[in-house]
Amino acid sequence: MSTPIVEEKPKNRFIDPKVLIKIQNLELVARTVVEGFVQGLHRSPYMGFSVDFAAYRPYMPGDEIRRIDWNVFSRSDRLYIKLYEGETNTRVLVLLDISGSMNYGSAEPKKIDYARILAACLTYFAHHQRDGVGLLTFDTEVRTHLPSSRRRGHLLTILSEIDRIQPTAQTEFRKPLRFLAEYLTRRGVIVLISDLYDEPDNIIAGLKALKAKGNDIIVFHIMDNFELTFPFEDMAQFEDMETKRKLHVIPEYLRTQYLVILKDHMERIRKELSGARIDYCLMDTSKPLDAGLFTYLAARAKSI
Amino acid sequence: MSFLNPFFLFGSLALAVPVLIHLVRREKSEIIPFSSLMFLLKVPKRSIRQQKMKNLLLMALRLLILALLVGAFARPYMTQPERPTAGGNSNRGTVMMLDTSYSMRYGNNFDRMKSEAQKRIDGLRASDRMAIIAFNDSATLLTQPTTDKSALKGAVDTLEPSFGGTRFYDAFTLADRVLGQFVGEQRQLVVISDFQKNGWNRSSRESVIPIDVKAETVNLAVKEWTNMGIDSVSVDQTSFTRTYSGRLIARIHNYNKEKPTEVPVSVSLNDKEVERKKVIVSANSSALAEFTGFDLPLGFSKGRVRIEAEDPLKIDNDFLFAIERREKLKLLVVDAGKPKQSVYLRDAYTSAPDLPFEVTIVPASGLTADEVAKHELVIINDVARLPDNVREKMDERRKSGQGQLVILAENSDPGWWGGYEKLPVKPTQKIFVNKDRGKPSVSLTTYGNHSIFKPFEKSTRVALNSAQFWAYVNVEPKPGAIVLAKYEDGAPAIVESSKNDGGMIVFNSTVDSKWNDFPFKTSFLPLFHEILRYLSRYNEGRGWYALGDAIPVVGGLETAAAAVIGPTGERQALGNLEVGQSKFFTPSVPGFYEIRVGPDTRRVAVNPPASEGNLDSMPPEDLLASVQQTKGESRQAGFFGAEEKDDYARRQMGWWYLLLFALLAGMAEIYIANRTYKTS
Repeated sequence: MSTPIVEEKPKNRFIDPKVLIKIQNLELVARTVVEGFVQGLHRSPYMGFSVDFAAYRPYMPGDEIRRIDWNVFSRSDRLYIKLYEGETNTRVLVLLDISGSMNYGSAEPKKIDYARILAACLTYFAHHQRDGVGLLTFDTEVRTHLPSSRRRGHLLTILSEIDRIQPTAQTEFRKPLRFLAEYLTRRGVIVLISDLYDEPDNIIAGLKALKAKGNDIIVFHIMDNFELTFPFEDMAQFEDMETKRKLHVIPEYLRTQYLVILKDHMERIRKELSGARIDYCLMDTSKPLDAGLFTYLAARAKSI
Repeated sequence: MSFLNPFFLFGSLALAVPVLIHLVRREKSEIIPFSSLMFLLKVPKRSIRQQKMKNLLLMALRLLILALLVGAFARPYMTQPERPTAGGNSNRGTVMMLDTSYSMRYGNNFDRMKSEAQKRIDGLRASDRMAIIAFNDSATLLTQPTTDKSALKGAVDTLEPSFGGTRFYDAFTLADRVLGQFVGEQRQLVVISDFQKNGWNRSSRESVIPIDVKAETVNLAVKEWTNMGIDSVSVDQTSFTRTYSGRLIARIHNYNKEKPTEVPVSVSLNDKEVERKKVIVSANSSALAEFTGFDLPLGFSKGRVRIEAEDPLKIDNDFLFAIERREKLKLLVVDAGKPKQSVYLRDAYTSAPDLPFEVTIVPASGLTADEVAKHELVIINDVARLPDNVREKMDERRKSGQGQLVILAENSDPGWWGGYEKLPVKPTQKIFVNKDRGKPSVSLTTYGNHSIFKPFEKSTRVALNSAQFWAYVNVEPKPGAIVLAKYEDGAPAIVESSKNDGGMIVFNSTVDSKWNDFPFKTSFLPLFHEILRYLSRYNEGRGWYALGDAIPVVGGLETAAAAVIGPTGERQALGNLEVGQSKFFTPSVPGFYEIRVGPDTRRVAVNPPASEGNLDSMPPEDLLASVQQTKGESRQAGFFGAEEKDDYARRQMGWWYLLLFALLAGMAEIYIANRTYKTS
């Protein structure tokens, strides 16, 4: 189904997000995007496989039972899973912001839908690269954490989880990132998909801590076109989708200052992240996903 | 302040619209869910406040513009300042109106009027002010408001009965203006008059006296009055015969409502009675007394018709008129000496004994320059040519007022007449209509609105175009010449010389029956009479005028000083009068006036208005009810005097200022709005 659509638009290698959002099956969406993307690439030099033992880690819900090291269990009476070097070329963890602000969309797709597709694509792509894939959704707290795995069924679990998420609460980076910094023991690729509606200090401090642990971090800054241009004309009450707070706004008077403040915010984050060697990619929800995938590939290359 | 179009004030409801829109939009403004207000909340509050302030200022300016426009369309005007009520100040301000019209001469009415006026002056308190207005057919303010009783009494003492009629309305209008000077005083109006009915024009329905003015009337009308008077006299102003052949008709009016009266009526000239008769005049009616056949001395005579009636109003028992006996105008008709050539002309000017012409007919062959010089009018009736000295004499006499009619026809030599420089036309050829125009005849059509055609203006019986012409001398009018009549084929028929060389008229067909049937038509005699009347510059004036009429003074042959000598010998100069220029003077007293224009003198008689002889009075209350405002009544703009009109217009000027302010507010709004949008 997807091929004819791509062929119909030969100049546009990637499918418009507005079209993708109409496809209900997230796996199909991811496959459509990734396969379309991969078809255009040269053969990847990053394919590889290894079976060397790496470490044990505690059993987490969702881990396959057959992976439990029963010898360890018999000795310690605790469930551990044995990890192998060759099990993944690298580990990819997608951090998906599911705060209320992600539910915004001036038109289809909403930011959360765009983020869903992007996350699905990345996990699908990583899975087919034989990378371990994990998912962590968060707002003020960690809402879901599916550790990285290379299992075939794990991808479906992640995609199912991505499909299920509903943004509600506010954004708070400090706690989830602290949790992650404590939890992650092995380095890998961390992909943060968020609109970054938090103080830059909170975001940058948390990411720097993860970076310090040797992770490669990619930040996808998901922004709606209206957030970037603020094209509103008529006076209206603007309601904060996270706090539900209302504010009378005459857009023509506030537009300039809003855009200056937003630019400052983004510029500061970009600069700080750049200084910490963290990749930053601004994603406009009205644009296709290719930039995201390219950015991911570049980051993965560094991590191997 | 009040409004001329108060309904436009409903437009001020429009002011509520922007405010309501603002409030409604504020309450029901659209709620837009937005990802986060994080950045919007960081916008400095000072900036938002500034925007709000500018918005409020813009809104205020727009509301102001709307309000100013509504105000301008409602046409505001300033009402006169409210006068303090009578209770505020016990001083009185009185305007006393005294009737000095000639009807007040009846019996001792005028003395009674003075006595009543003096009484009211005596009744004034030390702080009361009074102004006095004397009125007849015009109103005069004798004294400005004053507390000086002696000045007021002096003004009343000097009053004399006038010869003018009565016009109440003008007097009340002036009284209203003077009453306006009393501020904070109890305003009073005292009218002392015989309240003659003729003095109130029923069409003057404007109420001029404010409602707060306390009006008092002193009615001097006599209930059982009687009067005989002469309403008018019909008489020719000029007679050319020693014995007056016209009719002098005097209309005698008996105002007695009950019994007929026999009254002797006499006519006197220069204070010498020439005829007398008795006339019986029915009750409340009029009768005519007719006189004729009396002898007139040469020149102007002062005429007087008198009735010898015993009534208390004597002045209308005499009626003056001026009459002039003039020598007949000496008319010289020069013809070619052919039989019957001038017979119709002679008959036209001598058909009646009272016609003002003395006709002499001579053939051109026997004409001398002296003969021409002796006459006031000359008709050259179709002669081949004239001796040079005659022609020169004609040119000379024309300058001193001689009127000349030149008839060019069958016998005229076009070559010789074409060389006559002063002739207003150049004859070219003789046209025989049948041969040259292909039709049996042509008729005359008037061209222009000249006084010689006056008899044909309104007459349906006398038509100029009834005459048929089958030949004429074709002429080309010279520059400045005025074509008065044409033939129906367009050729000029009657041409007058230019204004600079006036006094000559050319007619280019015969005045016997050879080339036309004009002499047999009814239009022949009046046209040739009028031509000579015009050429002789003879204007029939009126024998008498009524007091208040404007009397014309007309310039003569050359620019000259004009003056009027009044009945008592006073001289009123009217300055220089150009040729034909008219000026007017209005006499103030009856009598004989002498009008001098250069060497010419004429007299006119002036009589008091006959209407004053009718002493019927109206109830003073009716008059007051007509002129005093009632509750809720306001004056209408159309009835103000010039000064009040100016004041009224000034008080209505407000809308101009409102429009100006609206314009300024609009400019300010544009400036501020531009700045606001630029900064945003």
